[in-house]
Amino acid sequence: MRLGYDEKTEAFRDQLVAWLEANLPDPSLTAERPTSSADIPAWARQFQRQMFDDGWLSPAYPPELGGRNADLFEQMVYLEELGRRHVTRSFNPQGLGIVSASIVSFGNDEQIERWAVPIMRAEKTAALGMSEPGAGSDLAALATRAVLDGDHFVVNGQKVWTSGAHDADVLLVFVRTNPEAPKHKGISALIVETDTPGLDRRPFPDLGGPDQVDFNEVFFDDVLVPSTNLVGDLNDGWRICNGALAHERAMLWVMWSQSLDNMLDDALAEFHGTPHADDDVVLDRLGRSIMDSHAIRLLGHRQLAKQQRGLVPAEQSILKLMGSEAQQDLAALMLETLGAAALDQTVEATLRFPYETDRGAVSWSDRYLFTFAGTISGGTSEIQRNIVAERVLDLPRG
Amino acid sequence: MDFELTDDQLELQRTARDVLDHEAPASLARDIAEGSGSADELWATLTSLDWPALCLPESVGGLGRGWVELAVLLEEMGRHVAPGPFAATVAQFVPTVRHAGTPDQQERFLAPVAAAGATGTLAVDEGAGTWDLDQIGASATRDGDSFVLSGIKCFVVDGATAEEIAVVVRIDGGLRVVVVPGEAVVARELDPIDATTRHATIDLEDVRVDSDRLLVGSDSDDAVVRAVQEATVGTAASTLGACQRILELNLDHARERQQFGVPIGSFQAVKHKMADMYCLIERARALVYFAALVFDSDDDRRVIATSMAKAGAGECQHRCVRDGLQLFGGIGYTWEHELHLFLRRAKIGELHFGSSSSHRRRITRCAMSAL
Repeated sequence: MRLGYDEKTEAFRDQLVAWLEANLPDPSLTAERPTSSADIPAWARQFQRQMFDDGWLSPAYPPELGGRNADLFEQMVYLEELGRRHVTRSFNPQGLGIVSASIVSFGNDEQIERWAVPIMRAEKTAALGMSEPGAGSDLAALATRAVLDGDHFVVNGQKVWTSGAHDADVLLVFVRTNPEAPKHKGISALIVETDTPGLDRRPFPDLGGPDQVDFNEVFFDDVLVPSTNLVGDLNDGWRICNGALAHERAMLWVMWSQSLDNMLDDALAEFHGTPHADDDVVLDRLGRSIMDSHAIRLLGHRQLAKQQRGLVPAEQSILKLMGSEAQQDLAALMLETLGAAALDQTVEATLRFPYETDRGAVSWSDRYLFTFAGTISGGTSEIQRNIVAERVLDLPRG
Repeated sequence: MDFELTDDQLELQRTARDVLDHEAPASLARDIAEGSGSADELWATLTSLDWPALCLPESVGGLGRGWVELAVLLEEMGRHVAPGPFAATVAQFVPTVRHAGTPDQQERFLAPVAAAGATGTLAVDEGAGTWDLDQIGASATRDGDSFVLSGIKCFVVDGATAEEIAVVVRIDGGLRVVVVPGEAVVARELDPIDATTRHATIDLEDVRVDSDRLLVGSDSDDAVVRAVQEATVGTAASTLGACQRILELNLDHARERQQFGVPIGSFQAVKHKMADMYCLIERARALVYFAALVFDSDDDRRVIATSMAKAGAGECQHRCVRDGLQLFGGIGYTWEHELHLFLRRAKIGELHFGSSSSHRRRITRCAMSAL
C-alpha cells in the first residue's frame, strides 16, 4: 500500500500534461455545445481526432487505435488529469466507451476499420440499443428479432431509452437471433446504420424539460442488416452485453467519483461564508458526502490495485451503487438546506467548463432530478443490490 | 496510489486470523462476559508471537512495521472480539510515547512493551465523552523533583489494569503527557456494554510522580493531537473487524435458515440489507486503511483522515448492529448465541473517541477551511 505512484507513472503524467497544455483548444473556440449524447460539436470532433492521432484518446490501446499501450496506473493518472481540467474524452460517450470498445474487443478487423476507428476519430457517432419496453431490468428478455435470410438479417421490433439515436450514424443493437434457446443464449449484437430503410427514430424529452431531448424510441420494420454487421459470434451477444468490456468498465468508477467531487465542490462553495457553514446539522450531513467522495475514490483505487495484480475485484459492483446514491443524497441535502432559495430554476447560463458536456449552469433542483439517471440507468440500484448479494456475498438467487 | 495490501501484509492478515481463530474463540469472550474468563493467557501468547513489538520502531527493540500492519491486527482483534491489553497498549499508549517522548523516554517506556509485553493506555476524556482536547482540565504541578496531578480521567481503556497510563494534562495552558504508573492511581472499573473491553474512571487527585515521567520530546500540543488521532483510528479498525464478523455470521445464517421452504437469504428484503452492510463495511475499510496509510506516509491529511475513519466505522456499525440483529430474528436475541458479543464490540467503538456526528462535522469544517 502506498499513497503515491511510481516514477514511470509520474513520467507518463508529465508527458500527458505537456500534451494537454500544447493541444487543448482555446476556450474562446469551444462555446458550441452538443444537443445530445451523439452530437459532437465541430471543435470537439477536431480535438477528439487529435487525441486519437496522438495516442491520447484511449491510452490502453495500441497506437493504431488511438493509444500508447498504457498500463492501469497510467490510465488512472490519465483520467485524473483529464478530470482535473474537466476535459471530456468524447461528447459521444456511449460511442467511444461502449460501441467502439465492443467492436474492438469482439469485432473483426474490417469492422474495426469501418466503424470503431471512425467512431473514435469522431467521424461517426454511435448509440446503444439495449433496453426495450418489455426488457429493462430483465434485459435478457429482449424481444427484437433478427432472422438471418441469405446474407442479411431481417430485424423487427422496438428499442427504447436509446440515448442520442436521433443524432447517431450507427447503432449497436442487441437482438434475439435464437428464440428457442434459453434467453441469455439467443442474443446477438448487430451494427445498424441509422439510414437503413425501415428504421424509425423518435426522440422524446426527459423529465428535465421539453427541450431536453436525448432519449429515443427506435422502431425496426423489416430492416435489412448485412450479415457482416454481426459483432462477435451468432448468439454470443450476452457476453458482449454483460461485463466483457473489462478495460472500459474497469475505469467507469472514475466518472462516478469525478461527478460526485464536482457536485461536492459546488456544495462547499455554495455554503462557504454563509450561515449554513455554521449549522451543525448541515456540517454533519455534508461530512457524510465528503466521506462518500473519498471512499469511492479509495475503493476505485483498490479495484485498480487488484486488477494490476491480476485479481478479479468485487469493488466494481458497489461503486456504481455507492456513487449514484451518494450524488442523490448530496443533491437532496442541498435542496433541504437551501429551502426556498432552491425553488427558482433561473440560473445564469454561463459556461463553466469549456471542455465538458456541461450545458451551462443547472439549478440544484434539476441536479437532484438528474441524479435519478444514475440510480435508474445501467441497472437500477435495486438490481445492483441483487448483484452484490448474489455474486459477491454468494446468497441464493430468489 | 496502490491501495491494496501487499503480499506481506496479506500474509500477516492470514497469520493473525489463524492465531486468533485458535487462541481467541468467541467462547473466550463469552467466559469473560460471564465473569469466569481471563485475557492473560491470550496476551502471553500474543507477546510470545511478538505482536506488541511488531509495529514498534527498531530503536526500542520493535520490528518496525507500520500503521497499515497495525490496522490489520486491530481489525482481526475486533473480528474475533479478542480481549486483552493489545489495543490500548499498541494503538493508544505507544503512539503517545512515540509522539511526545524523547528518544530516551521512548526507550524507557516502549522497550518493555516490545520485549516483554508491558501494558499501557491513554487517558484523555474527563467525563464529557467527546475526547475534545479543549475541555481538558486535569493538571500537573511541579513540586521539586516530582509532579503532583489533579483531576479525573474517564472511559480509560484498561484504566484499572494497565501498567503505565499516559495521562494528558494541562501545564501552563498547553497539553502535556505524564506517564503515571497504573498502581499510583485509584481506579474504578465500569461495567461496559462490551465486557471484553475494560474501562475505568481514574482519580488523579494528589498523585505524585517523578518529574522525568513528564514526556518532553515535544513542547507543542501537536504530539497529543497526533496520539489521539491514532488511538481514534485504532478504535475504528476494531469496530470494522466486529462489523465484518457480524456480516459473516449473518451470511451463514441467511444461507442456512429456511422459511417458507427456501433459505431466507433468497428474499430481496434480506439481500438488500446485506448488500448495504457490505457496502458500508467496504466504505469503512477504505477509510480506515487510508488513515493508516496517511499515518505511515507522514501525509498532512491526518485530521480529515482520522475523522473519516472513525465516522466510517461508526456509520458501518450503526447499520451492521441494527440490521445484523434484526435479520437474525429470535435466535440472535438470546444470550446463548454468540452474535451479541460482536454487536457489543461494534457498538462500543462508536461510543469511544468522539461520535460519528462530531467527526463528520470536523470533516466538513476541515474541507471548508481548505477553500
